[in-house]
Amino acid sequence: MSVAIGDLRLRSPVLAASGTFGYGTEVPLLERRALGAMVSKGIFLRAREGTAPPRIAETPSGMLNAIGLQGPGAEALVRDYAPQWSEWDFPVLVNINGESAAEYGELAARLDGVPGIAGFEINISCPNVEQGGLYFGNDPRAAAAVTEAVRKRTRLPVWVKLTPMVSDIGVIARAVESAGADALCAVNTFVGMSFDLNAYKPRLSFRTGGLSGPAIRPLAVHLAHQAARAVQIPVIGIGGITRTDDALEFLVAGCAAVQVGTATFVNPNAIAEVHDGITAFLGARGFTSLADLPRYLPRD
Amino acid sequence: MFLLDAPLTGRRQVAHEMFVLSIRAPEIAASVRAGQFANLGWSGGPLLRRPFSIYRSEGEHIEVVLKAVGVGTAQLLAMEVGDRISCLGPLGQGFDFSRGAKEVVLISGGLGVAPMPLAAREARAAGMQVTWVHGARTATELCAESAGDRVIWVTDDGSRGAKGTAVSAAPEADLILACGPNRMLAAVAERWPEAQVAVETYMGCGTGVCLGCAVPLRRGGFDRACKEGPVYRAADIDWRVLPAHLSYAATA
Repeated sequence: MSVAIGDLRLRSPVLAASGTFGYGTEVPLLERRALGAMVSKGIFLRAREGTAPPRIAETPSGMLNAIGLQGPGAEALVRDYAPQWSEWDFPVLVNINGESAAEYGELAARLDGVPGIAGFEINISCPNVEQGGLYFGNDPRAAAAVTEAVRKRTRLPVWVKLTPMVSDIGVIARAVESAGADALCAVNTFVGMSFDLNAYKPRLSFRTGGLSGPAIRPLAVHLAHQAARAVQIPVIGIGGITRTDDALEFLVAGCAAVQVGTATFVNPNAIAEVHDGITAFLGARGFTSLADLPRYLPRD
Repeated sequence: MFLLDAPLTGRRQVAHEMFVLSIRAPEIAASVRAGQFANLGWSGGPLLRRPFSIYRSEGEHIEVVLKAVGVGTAQLLAMEVGDRISCLGPLGQGFDFSRGAKEVVLISGGLGVAPMPLAAREARAAGMQVTWVHGARTATELCAESAGDRVIWVTDDGSRGAKGTAVSAAPEADLILACGPNRMLAAVAERWPEAQVAVETYMGCGTGVCLGCAVPLRRGGFDRACKEGPVYRAADIDWRVLPAHLSYAATA
């Protein structure tokens, strides 16, 4: 059930989403044969401590998180994790972050060519410090500038993870496609908030957090579909996938592959179960490959 | 670490609104150390699993102790014998009994009894004299079960045993282990910086991936209650940043 995302051939269309699979060394018990690729926890050039607790809050069918992109920085990633990744039988893409377009480019340049790193997923849901903290992902020019900054520094596949917090995801999708993205990942978490009624304060110390889990799935399917209709490059669907049918919805909506995220927290084997479920579905419907699955992509 | 589809095998009440559940989970029962926990999930339950210290392990069974504090625990307590619970465990680092202490004092507050029966068992197996300082707000909230060579009962209002806090009632010892509200553990840290304390945090995955259970450290930065913890040297935690108590949503 292999699938091509640009030049990258994956043995499975089910991928591990950034931030829900650590650096691939933590998640226990997963049958890795099912894993098409892993996207690492988001990383900045330099180490970051992350935000103070509480960092997570459960909400109906979802969870809010504000981890603050805690991470060891590029040098530790290259030293401690990439050598392990180079031995694995599936590709690892690094989710990269920055405070300016130049910093994204610098990070890509540092990681480019490091054995074990097969590509990049750009997280454009970061505040642009040079532009008063406006998010790169909300502005087609800023999103394109980041994509271009990374594209110029690497020949590896460059995927862009889109934020759902926009009025027209198609505009951003086309902007980053033009700037050289090889694929889009749609979508990142929705910004949400929840209050502690004992303390009369937000439940997260950061006040807001990213909402993930089944609660966002129909919203994410819609946005992934809109993105897929807007561009020619592959779109990888993300948002609340916990079981086979969830993944199939994204695929029928026009996605080439999917990422499973929060579900892995609950069920360490979620990726394998979704993978096996898709295989069974295709077989039961008489499809010989994933490419035969009907996609609903009206080009109007 | 094991992921088991395990049946509920029993429930007993040990205090007002406090219950012990038994679950048949042989691999976890055989390998758990005091202070470690299991992350429990069940069909129709909330999205995230719920972490529980292992209270006791006996033969093929593990036990957890809980009160209905939110929707998840209420559902667990409504289960019937034979209902299935998905158990991921044992998780985290337990108490360290390797430093050759001769006597240990266990200090528990309220639901902080959770890791203590196993701790008492391991301490005795390591040749220690075990004193359990067993505290709660009132007699009705005090877990009726205990273990060890000597038990000192303490309540805030004096309705059973000594009046006061478990921390103030505790004698000195070579080794102090404590579990209870984080506020109580902060008081333990003041008196015994070398104590081993089992902290409570919100938790996402329980396996070290999500970084949701961050514990602030005095030396700076955070680590994970589920992986490096939940047992810490008391002096290592930045108690000003660790949430003093957890607040559970009624709907999740």
